[in-house]
Amino acid sequence: MSQHDRSLERRARELYLRASRDVDPSTAGRLRAARRTALADPHPSVARRLLLPAGAFAVVALASLMIWQPQPRVAPADSTAAMSSRDAAPNDLPPDADIADPALYKDMQFYSWLAYNDAPSSSSRK
Amino acid sequence: MEHEDANKDDAEKPVNASLALDGASLADVREVPASMDAFLAGIERRAWRMAEIHLGNRDDAMDAVQDAMLRLVRHYSAKPAGEWTPLFWGILRRRIVDLQRRRKVRSIVVGWIGGGRDDDGDELPQWEPADDAPDPSARLQDTQAYGDIVTAVRGLPRRQREAFTLRILEGLDVAETAAAMGCSDGSVKTHLSRAMHALRDQLEAWR
Repeated sequence: MSQHDRSLERRARELYLRASRDVDPSTAGRLRAARRTALADPHPSVARRLLLPAGAFAVVALASLMIWQPQPRVAPADSTAAMSSRDAAPNDLPPDADIADPALYKDMQFYSWLAYNDAPSSSSRK
Repeated sequence: MEHEDANKDDAEKPVNASLALDGASLADVREVPASMDAFLAGIERRAWRMAEIHLGNRDDAMDAVQDAMLRLVRHYSAKPAGEWTPLFWGILRRRIVDLQRRRKVRSIVVGWIGGGRDDDGDELPQWEPADDAPDPSARLQDTQAYGDIVTAVRGLPRRQREAFTLRILEGLDVAETAAAMGCSDGSVKTHLSRAMHALRDQLEAWR
């Protein structure tokens, strides 16, 4: 270790400490204000601490809701309603024998007669 | 490697010697604070000077110190007062590095967008203009000497600069400096040794 190194270190530190001590009043005032600000609000607010986890939870819940789509389960009681709504729709196919009303088949001849006679009469009306 | 090891060994000696020589100055620095307020009041000006040395800009230095104070109070108030010093310098060091990186990115972006020139082809002012305000140290008798050392220190690589400012200027011991720098004791000694070697050449006039 040389004398030069020792004097360099000592001199540098002296100058640094003196320069720190002789900071201009404006900067010193700003530093005091910064210290007061730091000490005035030592802890982040509870709301801010809870905001991030709550937000993350909300996003995850929303994403899950969008991805998960439950399969529609038809209850036995609803089968009649489903059938009737299906019958209401215009359909050229004959009704399914398993689910159709038995009375429908009883009057099938009448319905076919009605359909046969209805077509020419509607065209003749025009 | 041999050279590095040799540097490691002789890096420790001058520091200890100078600590002994300059014990009076350090007595003020190393006092255990009675409260967080007292601690910050005692360290704030040196912190600002330190940040100014690293950043070369007074406002950026103020921002860095303010943020370091805020983080220390928020997160480490419950720690023993004896641990505040290395914690504070570590926080400030990271803040300084953040600001330096941000400044670099900004200057790159400005360069891309405007090419550094306005519509008339004149050079735009730098994003972070040099701090030309009168330096407070102008009132010091050794203004020129302080300017020399600051210029020389700013010319060092970042890690060497950190080691020199924390270990020599601020007077932290090796362990505290290592904690503040986030590295091992050996790395601190190596960086410091290299810094001293570079400064020795640059500050030849001080001989």
